Amino acid sequence: MKIAVCVKHAVDEAELKVDSGGNPQLAGAASKMSTFDKNAVEEALRVKAAHSGEVVVISVGTSDAKKTLKEALAMGADRGVLIGADPLVVDTIYTARLLAAAIAKGGQYDIVLCSEGSSDSYSGLVPPMLAEVLGLPYIGYVRKLEITGQSAKAERSLEDSVEVVEAPLPFVASVVSEINEPRYPTLIQIMQAGKKPMEELSPQTLAPDAKALGSMVASMKAQAMARKRVVFEGPPGDVAKKLLDALTTEGVLPK
Amino acid sequence: MSVKVWAFSEAPEASREVAAAAKALAEAAGGVYTVVGLDGDGQELVGEAKLVLKSTLPLAGSPEAAAEALARAAKEEVPDVILVGSTKDGKEVASRLAVKLGRTCISDVFGLTLAEGKLRGKRNAFAGKLMADMAAPLPCVASVKTGIYTGLPGSTVEAAVKDVGEVKLKTRVIERREKTRGTVDLKSAKLIVSAGRGVKKKDDLTLVGDLAAKLGGAVGCSRPLSSDMGWLPEEHHIGLTGVTVHPDLYIAVGISGQLQHVAGIKDSKVIAAINTDKSAPIFEASDYGIVGDLYDVIPALLKELEARRR
Repeated sequence: MKIAVCVKHAVDEAELKVDSGGNPQLAGAASKMSTFDKNAVEEALRVKAAHSGEVVVISVGTSDAKKTLKEALAMGADRGVLIGADPLVVDTIYTARLLAAAIAKGGQYDIVLCSEGSSDSYSGLVPPMLAEVLGLPYIGYVRKLEITGQSAKAERSLEDSVEVVEAPLPFVASVVSEINEPRYPTLIQIMQAGKKPMEELSPQTLAPDAKALGSMVASMKAQAMARKRVVFEGPPGDVAKKLLDALTTEGVLPK
Repeated sequence: MSVKVWAFSEAPEASREVAAAAKALAEAAGGVYTVVGLDGDGQELVGEAKLVLKSTLPLAGSPEAAAEALARAAKEEVPDVILVGSTKDGKEVASRLAVKLGRTCISDVFGLTLAEGKLRGKRNAFAGKLMADMAAPLPCVASVKTGIYTGLPGSTVEAAVKDVGEVKLKTRVIERREKTRGTVDLKSAKLIVSAGRGVKKKDDLTLVGDLAAKLGGAVGCSRPLSSDMGWLPEEHHIGLTGVTVHPDLYIAVGISGQLQHVAGIKDSKVIAAINTDKSAPIFEASDYGIVGDLYDVIPALLKELEARRR
């Protein structure tokens, strides 16, 4: 079983600083593996454990993205592929085409896994785009995945319903965080990750005809959180009274 | 500039909302809009122009089929902008359409305008910490955030019907079941009490449930409680990857206030929080907070509520 996992090295949304003018300080901001990608890596490792095979992690990003690839390698992936491009410059369709080209170049993959969306932009567009470019079956928002022989059975977690879907291998799927609990690599695994193979590909040689189609983030500003931020401290009975008084004044408590 | 806008959603409510977005966009730009539906999807389309796509097999219920049908029709009619409701299936439809038509695509946008050959719209980014101003050159596809636009009312306009030919699918749905919901639907709840990691064991959820019951509200939770602990069904998970809620009052109990959780509660009218840690980020996102142990504060609240009812 050959499994590709697409991962993104993303600015850590919790650590992102905003200046007094509401401008995000993206340059030099702390970054990490996009939160839900860990679930995709974990699922790939579980499929590998059950069916044997190889897990390849692929990322479109700057050289900083090697950190995310290394983290996935430490979790247990076998090798990494970095497609050197700035994710802030490429758009979703270009990202999907680059990932597709790397997957096609890598030979016959049985499964391609993504997370439902990245923790920075959370657009959720790349996984279905990738399936469409590759011409493969797509199963989105998977919370349970079973592989039997050459077919997959998956539970899709939609807004109000659960769908059980069947697809033949190879296929592309996006997973939701409910699917598993990602493992933490051990110190030894982290040290060994540096020795695992990491290939670097250039977008120009990989997919010379692919290009961004021009959709872009024109600007980003901090969202004002206009909350009152009144905090009560003291004995439970007192603070309970104060809170209920305040909520009554707001008119949000049932009569 | 005269533009042609299409509106589509497989979800009836979102379809009316996207129709409203398309109408507003077309009217502002002196263009036209068409609301597109699928044969057999059980929807009553709204708007001044309607188009129903049909095939030999039912197209409804599959984002894969919807995207293929829309792409075939769009290749003939060439709408400048295709708006799709930003449901989970809708995002798949939008993504696939973009690739099939070789167009660019933006997602979860609202506040749409057209200027200088570009579709502009706003979207949340970085778990709602930032608001991004997006620009997509025409022709393009965009998924429209649900719950923002007021849906158009029904209309008696006759729909045009277009046969898109045979559509072959690569996946097969073998079962579809409604998610089990609690007694109250979180999305429409006026009052929600939510539990987080501050709740030490599953049995203690009854405390949170008691407070919700006393206030006539629904019970929600942060991701760890449904995903990691499995104490509540995932349908109760409020946040970026769970349900987005907009109650009059949201009470976060023992929730630290990670951005992903706050992203799902931002539209609440009033937010109250109970947490032992004074520096917990939830207090930054709240109107009223109590620094204290939920195991002391909830009983005190219940007692006080009881006293006030007498």
